[in-house]
Amino acid sequence: MMMQLFYILIFPGFLFLYLMSFILEYEDRIIYARLQNRKGPPLFQPLADFIKLLAKEDIVPECADKKIFKLMPMIALTAVVTSFFYIPIWGVNSLYPFKGDLIVVLYLLTIPTVTFFLAGWSSTSLYSTIGAVRTLTQLFSYEVLLFLSVLSPAMLADSWSLGDMASFYNERPAMMLFNIVAFGMSLVAMLGKLEKVPFDIAEAETEIVGGTFTEYSGRLFAFFRMAINMEMVVGASLIAAVFLPFGLTLDPVYGFMLYIVKVFFVIFFLSVGRTVFARLRIDQMVSVCWKYFAPIAFAQIVLILIVKGVVL
Amino acid sequence: MKIADKIITWARTKSPWVIHFNTGACNACDIEIVDALTPLFDLERFGVLLKGTPRHADVLLCSGPVTRQIEKRLIRIYEQMPAPKFVVAVGTCACSGGVFHDCYSVKGGIDTAIPVSAYIPGCPVRPEAIIDGVVKLLSKFEADEKKRRESK
Repeated sequence: MMMQLFYILIFPGFLFLYLMSFILEYEDRIIYARLQNRKGPPLFQPLADFIKLLAKEDIVPECADKKIFKLMPMIALTAVVTSFFYIPIWGVNSLYPFKGDLIVVLYLLTIPTVTFFLAGWSSTSLYSTIGAVRTLTQLFSYEVLLFLSVLSPAMLADSWSLGDMASFYNERPAMMLFNIVAFGMSLVAMLGKLEKVPFDIAEAETEIVGGTFTEYSGRLFAFFRMAINMEMVVGASLIAAVFLPFGLTLDPVYGFMLYIVKVFFVIFFLSVGRTVFARLRIDQMVSVCWKYFAPIAFAQIVLILIVKGVVL
Repeated sequence: MKIADKIITWARTKSPWVIHFNTGACNACDIEIVDALTPLFDLERFGVLLKGTPRHADVLLCSGPVTRQIEKRLIRIYEQMPAPKFVVAVGTCACSGGVFHDCYSVKGGIDTAIPVSAYIPGCPVRPEAIIDGVVKLLSKFEADEKKRRESK
């Protein structure tokens, strides 16, 4: 019982995720800054932002649906933290592995997006309503892409469980190379999921002020920010577990270090994407995702089927 | 309790998020504010981020004299910001009304409508002056908080 509580609250549960989210936010911002040829924020910046937001006044708008408005940040946070328990961090198995945990992780990662929609909708501000609708429109364009791209390594390994997939690729490391296209597609989908710059249409500060979070302030906004940062950790860990499954039989210390390196590697791609692209319009995003990226992900699946027929 | 107070003061001085509001300026100060936020001056090293909505912001950067039309909106924006909040008057017009002080449609400086924490003169202000003003405001806030803690 004590061990379970330790796993859930401290490592690799809530506290670890909390620290990791600050480190990755810092990494993201510093890479963004360095690519723009400037110094960037200091190391403690994410922590200072978080504490400052916690200490600020909470304003709940008069017209808002007060219960939903206050509840949504907590639900987003809970869903993200829960999904982290099913992702293998080092070694082959996660904390609570079972058959089909890949699907559960993907669906748990959808819940924050739905809470963003409900939060924006329930705050009844014009800007947040537009942001909320855009969040859902965006969901329909990247979600299928993410599922398709994660489907292909799962099909090759013939399993829906992250643990089985990891042990399959651990025995045949060369098989990993067939999934490179899906790796790229999943990075694109993750940019959409985290609402980072080419796909930050729902938050677009320059056109609809703060988008979904326009009316959020203080503690509630701090929890939403934390949920997004934790989603970044979980998303990067998921991509690392699915597409970069090597070195899983190392002993825990090296395995853990390798995990950190993999996550930093994934976040590096996301930050570069955030720096080099400008924001798309919502119609451009939908057409790009459906016209180009989804067919590429389908082609990847066809490739996987051929590989399965020929090689295995 | 004292330690928590100290940590909160530290966090507040390290992450001032700003929102920019034009109260009737000729646009020169606005361009200089945008200039100060470019990678060349790198305000993010002080933790400054530009926010779109007053709900997320700590510092309200006002440029220009308060016109009669904008006064109500300025007060509304100010009231939408969650406490603690600071107002910085950017430019000579925002400080005192400047060349527009006796214009029929102008009320005067920003302090005729809402309380102001820092005044940055200049026509238009240089980006360096804006950065200096914001950093001075934060160090003054830190010193005030320290005094308040000690007097308690």
